[in-house]
Amino acid sequence: MALFRVHIPILDEVKSKGLKPALRDKVDDLVTRVTAGLDMKDVRGVLRDDPPGRPNPRLKPHAEGFWLHMKPTYYHNLVDGLYPTFRLGWLSVYAFAFEIITGVFLMIYYTPSPLVAYDNMLNILSNVPFGRLMRDMHKLGAEAMVIVVSLHMLRTFITGSYKFPRQFTWVTGIILLGVTLILSFSGYLLPWDQLSLWAVTIGASMAEAAPPEIVGRNLNLIVRGAPEFGPGGLLRFYLLHVIALPLAGVLALGVHYYKVIIHGHSLPPGAENVGEDTARKIPMDTRTYFMPTILTREVWYVSGLTLLLVAYSAFVFHAPLEPHADPLVTPLHITSPWYFLWLQGMLKLGDKVLWGVILPTALIGLLVSLPYVEVGPSRRYGDRRIGLSAGISFVILLAILSFMGTPHYAVPTSPDQEAVAALLPQTQPGPLRLAPWGQLVLGSYQAADWRQAPTPAMRELLHTFGEELTRVQTADRQAVEGIMVVEDWQTDLKKVTLRVVWTDVATNQPHEFSQTAFLHRNSDYGQGE
Amino acid sequence: MSEAVAPTPSEQAPSLPLTRREFLYYLWGISIAVFLTGSGGATVWFSLPRFRAGEFGGVFTIPVDQIPPADTLPKEFPEGRFWLVNIGQRTLTDPRQPPQYPETAGVKALYKVCVHLGCIYKWVDTNDRFECPCHGSKYLKSGSRIDGPARRNLDVFIVEAIDAAGDVLSRTEPAMNTLEGTALEPPSGTVSLRIDTGRRIQGAFNSKPGGGM
Amino acid sequence: MKWQIALGTLSVVAMVIVLAIVAVGEPRRMAEFTTSYQARQIETGALIFENSCRPCHGAQGEGIDGVAPAINAADLFNGSRLSAIGFAGTVQDYVRATISSGRPVPSAGTNYPQRMPTWSQRFGGPLRDDQIDSLVAYVMNWQDRALQAGAEVTAAPVGEVVGTDITVALPAGNADQGKSLAEGNLGCVGCHILAATGPAWLPSGDTPGIGDRAATRIGQADYTGHATTPELYLLESIVSPNAYVVEGFGPDLMPANYGQRLTPQDAADLVAYLLSLR
Repeated sequence: MALFRVHIPILDEVKSKGLKPALRDKVDDLVTRVTAGLDMKDVRGVLRDDPPGRPNPRLKPHAEGFWLHMKPTYYHNLVDGLYPTFRLGWLSVYAFAFEIITGVFLMIYYTPSPLVAYDNMLNILSNVPFGRLMRDMHKLGAEAMVIVVSLHMLRTFITGSYKFPRQFTWVTGIILLGVTLILSFSGYLLPWDQLSLWAVTIGASMAEAAPPEIVGRNLNLIVRGAPEFGPGGLLRFYLLHVIALPLAGVLALGVHYYKVIIHGHSLPPGAENVGEDTARKIPMDTRTYFMPTILTREVWYVSGLTLLLVAYSAFVFHAPLEPHADPLVTPLHITSPWYFLWLQGMLKLGDKVLWGVILPTALIGLLVSLPYVEVGPSRRYGDRRIGLSAGISFVILLAILSFMGTPHYAVPTSPDQEAVAALLPQTQPGPLRLAPWGQLVLGSYQAADWRQAPTPAMRELLHTFGEELTRVQTADRQAVEGIMVVEDWQTDLKKVTLRVVWTDVATNQPHEFSQTAFLHRNSDYGQGE
Repeated sequence: MSEAVAPTPSEQAPSLPLTRREFLYYLWGISIAVFLTGSGGATVWFSLPRFRAGEFGGVFTIPVDQIPPADTLPKEFPEGRFWLVNIGQRTLTDPRQPPQYPETAGVKALYKVCVHLGCIYKWVDTNDRFECPCHGSKYLKSGSRIDGPARRNLDVFIVEAIDAAGDVLSRTEPAMNTLEGTALEPPSGTVSLRIDTGRRIQGAFNSKPGGGM
Repeated sequence: MKWQIALGTLSVVAMVIVLAIVAVGEPRRMAEFTTSYQARQIETGALIFENSCRPCHGAQGEGIDGVAPAINAADLFNGSRLSAIGFAGTVQDYVRATISSGRPVPSAGTNYPQRMPTWSQRFGGPLRDDQIDSLVAYVMNWQDRALQAGAEVTAAPVGEVVGTDITVALPAGNADQGKSLAEGNLGCVGCHILAATGPAWLPSGDTPGIGDRAATRIGQADYTGHATTPELYLLESIVSPNAYVVEGFGPDLMPANYGQRLTPQDAADLVAYLLSLR
């Protein structure tokens, strides 16, 4: 007599088939549901690389499942090697996913307020296990993403894959490039140290330069939440960085990838007749199937790349943390992040409205309109010499402009300050702070007598100081001397004063410039932060 | 009824032999599973909040001169969310004390949160007991419940007696019969008490009217 | 394709090992970073102290008699000062509170009748919270040395002092020496250049510097001192500040003991320097 009128189906099956077969069928059923169509036998067939049989069950996860729905079931074997794509599109998506994951973890410990943001960074680095690793991975992934996305665009240009019918795919790609650059730029502000604040201030000032003046002024207010960066600006940049831009990126990526799939990956230019686009029709004998070939390769890439990023961040690459942001003091030689150096270089050429707003806007317009203007039917390299030369020249120009954006070009201050800044830079630790503390012997030392300095570190510092000072000696500055004074100041704290004295030839007056730094035994600048 | 039903996998021909390629895939899958487990552990370690000394959840150090004398009023430490009570002879011989919770003399750090539904109970001097304003649970200075809907005695934090060298001389232990935290008599040489608000011992089960099991 | 499987497995295993290596080193790395940023805080605090606090409290926190108390002092770190006023917090709390709010009301009945500026931005001052934290870290770093043997307040010089008699002849003064004296441990610039506690020495707008004003003051109807020349006026202002108080300023604000702390040469140098400020 059954006390409980509950019907448990599995018990019926166990009764009719026996325990082990019933369990095996249940597992098989589970596997079929999870893979959206492949049962255990089919899965093993994939793993064994057996011929799939008809009807091909390996199409079902793509046709009926969500995750593989947009992914093609097979590729043309001409586009499945490293050439012509170098898999840069795939790498871009990988980098984006990597950034999202590491970024969400960092969000657990970050609040976007100038009052606590820097303390949050100190907390992540000093009180969160794997905190430094997570931050370094996030920064490394960001730099990698900018590089990979740019290379992907360059490759697409070179192979002419922006031409009909893929013009709008290119446009969504430009949108994605913009999303990537602004993601990197907005994230740069979040640590709220001196580098963050001032590098981003330089970049955002171009919004202010937009003509006419009323547009520029209000655009600046919307971007920064105030005339200068402060609580409003940090919060706005944070929201841009964690929700607005990722959302725009995902949507643009959806359109972009969808169009890539429905048009098919463009074949190498030499493989088709001029003007034809046969990417959609892939004959059976040229197919490389997703399962198992491409799938295995992608999982291998994820494994290998993640190992590379994790190991590089764990042992080599460390994101720096400069002193707390000071809205009243701009450090000497501050620069924008490397991917915006070209803009900074352009800004040194003249009027900021022309070089900072009008030309970059024109550049974006040029890029966006490229596939609609450059409508030559051939993608072959031989037929596109003008375009390819223009592309190469553009890349070289970017490199030159980037060099011009560095502090070495046309920004230096007076040579005495430059000499001191060589030992005590304001944007990084520099040789004096990196020197072993114990080797800074108390006393007063002339740069010219560097060979008599008591320790190797001091010899090196004074030698560098002396070299920089030769630049101070000009026609109207004579008798240039460099002095370094090391004093004992507090427990474990030394005071180092760097002084440059010279005589002005015209007035015969002595002049001097000096800068002081305090160095603690334990401040340990050599870790990269 | 038709018997033509598709054969289930277990009814089909015996399965294919394991190839080397397949085996390697399974190894890879296992290594990925190990990695995910490891990174799951790392994620937990990453996400668990850590408390600095002086933050609730962390360790509070109370110098010996701040411990209330025996049988005097409980002393509150709001940042640490605990009352420091010093149980002396008068408290031990309180007639209201339920006999199931034998008390010893010493110091206890009572968690300020009522064990019923989380309100902050108060010390009411006229009645010589703690009283909770939300539902009326009442506790003695020893932490034992004597009235109200709470179902156990007050929780205590682990207290350690620290000497001048920083070593632990003595620590709150769970009682033999009830497993609740016992009072700590600071041994001679104690310089400070260290109360760990991250480690809490629950009070013993106590649900009879008037207190008791 | 099999090599991809093998390398893939190796990569994943290597990642587990890398994470394990990092995990093992994390507690020590975190402790080291904590030490290093606390050290950097002290460095930052030292720079701020040099610029903002040294003029009144002295380069080594030794204090200036009549201007500002010593902070590099045993009685601060052993808690004596705190219990004297009944302060309930720690020494660190006391230092942070004092720096943040300053001393807007002069402490009556002490040697330090002047106001200490308010420093925290929360109360209208110029420094952010993290800068105040750095200053506190720097001051607390004097604890070891202060408890061993605190720095002394600048003592009176050995030998002759100029006294308060302004008719005594002084040697020839050197303005450059006077300038370095004024900027050094005597505490002059704290009130006369960096703040408006005393009459400004430097010219501003239509008002000439103190060198010029000295000549006009002695001719004024309300002048209550005894000087007959600008040099004597300046000497009198230093050694007998209460002889004549400029309108807008009160008596007993300037320390009256400079006469006991300066040699005649010092006084002559200071007068020469002040005369040069036109």
